[in-house]
Amino acid sequence: MTNPQLALVMLGAFIFIILLGFPIAFTLMAMGVAFGFYAYYIPDQSFFDNRVFYLLSQNTFSIMNNDVLTAVPLFLFMGYMIERSNILDRLFYSLQVSLRAIPGSMAVAALITCALFATATGIVGAVVTLMGLLAFPAMLKAGYDEKLSSGVICAGGTLGILIPPSIMLIVYGATSSVSVVKLYAAAMIPGFLLAGLYIVYVIVRVTINPKLAPKLPKDESNLPWHKVVLLLVQAFFPLAVLILSVLGAILFGLATPSEAAAVGALGAMILAIAYRAFTWQRLKEAVFLTARTSAMVCWLFVGSWTFSSIFSYLGGEGEIKNFVLSMQLTPITFLLLSQLIIFLLGWPLEWSEIIIIFVPIFLPLLPHYGVDPMFFGILVALNLQTSFLTPPMAMSAYYLKGIAPPHVQLWTIFKGCFPFLAMVFLSMLLVYVFPQLVYWLPNLFYGNN
Amino acid sequence: MLQRFLLLIDRFSMTVGHAFAWCILILTLGTSYEVFVRYVLRDPTSWAFDLSYILYGALFIMSGAYTLSRDAHVRGDVIFRLLPPRVQATIELVLYFIFFYPGVTALIIAGYGYAHDSFLYKEVSVNSPVGMPIWQLKMLIPLAGIMLFIQGIAQVIRCILTIRTGRWPRQLHDVEELENVLIHEHEQQAGKEATT
Repeated sequence: MTNPQLALVMLGAFIFIILLGFPIAFTLMAMGVAFGFYAYYIPDQSFFDNRVFYLLSQNTFSIMNNDVLTAVPLFLFMGYMIERSNILDRLFYSLQVSLRAIPGSMAVAALITCALFATATGIVGAVVTLMGLLAFPAMLKAGYDEKLSSGVICAGGTLGILIPPSIMLIVYGATSSVSVVKLYAAAMIPGFLLAGLYIVYVIVRVTINPKLAPKLPKDESNLPWHKVVLLLVQAFFPLAVLILSVLGAILFGLATPSEAAAVGALGAMILAIAYRAFTWQRLKEAVFLTARTSAMVCWLFVGSWTFSSIFSYLGGEGEIKNFVLSMQLTPITFLLLSQLIIFLLGWPLEWSEIIIIFVPIFLPLLPHYGVDPMFFGILVALNLQTSFLTPPMAMSAYYLKGIAPPHVQLWTIFKGCFPFLAMVFLSMLLVYVFPQLVYWLPNLFYGNN
Repeated sequence: MLQRFLLLIDRFSMTVGHAFAWCILILTLGTSYEVFVRYVLRDPTSWAFDLSYILYGALFIMSGAYTLSRDAHVRGDVIFRLLPPRVQATIELVLYFIFFYPGVTALIIAGYGYAHDSFLYKEVSVNSPVGMPIWQLKMLIPLAGIMLFIQGIAQVIRCILTIRTGRWPRQLHDVEELENVLIHEHEQQAGKEATT
């Protein structure tokens, strides 16, 4: 067997083993070491002098002193702190009363709450379950359609991995060496575009068929306007200001993403103190969860870098390149095909695995088709919204099912998610047809290069 | 007896993980301080950059075993979760020996050599004139490997217990993701309502 063939066997075996359900980080590390040992084997050399051992420690250390990934635990910490600051119910209530004039006001308020809260925390599960307990029963009680209500919460909560400052884009930046700052600038408009499409969809659906979202009774939702403003000042603005200052500092080049994340985390702690939600217990929870989730993401990187450096040393990358180039694809079919594969991978897998392990397979192919890795990253980020909403591993739907009243079927939640999936595809199409949606902000901030 | 031994290992990984988890607080405050002195006092520190990745690196590498003890490493478990516990445990037991131990052992051996070299010439960071020592950070690689190795023993014994009893044994609990807490509470409440 030639080395490139061996590399393909390695990849094939890995995809099979991933489905056995063993923690992926260790599978990757062990396979990298085993195949690497064979690849670097020199007869007469003593066992431990094999180059693969040096490579393993070198790769591990390059993850440990990676200045891009430093932002990951900091943003996680900020998220876990905000999650525990008792802000969500105030936020939802304040938005709900201030939006009462528009059709489907509760659904729109839920969407905006989800989007803002998810953007601030970046943790999908918490947003969906919290909103599932808070807004979902309220919507059902007001006579809202079950499917619409569940779609709103699942889709809205998932926006957190897309709209900056999102951890997914940092991870993509670390794998593709595109600057995180540019990725953030590029993702702003597509992120808000998608959130906007969700809102427009809800308003249009509800206007066509008012039975889906009955108007609230007058007395229940009427507050004088100055009270509404006060509510917004208390709940909506502090969080919005926190996010905007973190983002602003990054986009205007005042601070690196990790510095902005640190200040954001400090801001989140201050916010928690201001809302009288700061306790020793909650701080401990946030600290420990941060450690666990960071370890999960970063150990995956340790395994994946070891695996992929051996994979390309064996010539696997070249083999895949030759194979794909021999298919004579046009750039558009290549883009369609790669996005389709990523969409399908999103059924059984989560975004972290897809970005850290599978996206690097596509990256070396991009220059041949003249695709900009930044543009590709935004399409992937939009696309991965679907990985939370498509069965069989629709995490958002499962979280909602976990806390929903028993009469809400899982299948109803899935059906509620489908129209929002269509909006994701529409946003991808719009981004493809109008690339300016991606490029306008980065060009504005950082010039045309 | 065995159960206590397993929980002892869990507790060991957890204690180390928790200790290093606090790095995040130092990282947050230290980096915020750097931003403050740079913009407000126009006097940037020379240590903040080195400090940031040292704390981050130590944080995640030493939480590896803790994360394993809480089964929080990501898995492609779309099929796995549907299997009965006995089958799960059998698959996992085999894979611990095929993948986990060879990989982790290689990490310990390779990391030891790597850190030892760095220690011999007391390696310092090249990013700043302060010369922040970084050989300690490299030392953590084999240490993290040893922690994983020990936690792995507990996980393997759990697999064997599961094959014999057909149920996954208890693990040590500390904090849970909010969604799991909420879903669990919700289930218990629903259960209570059903019985009354």
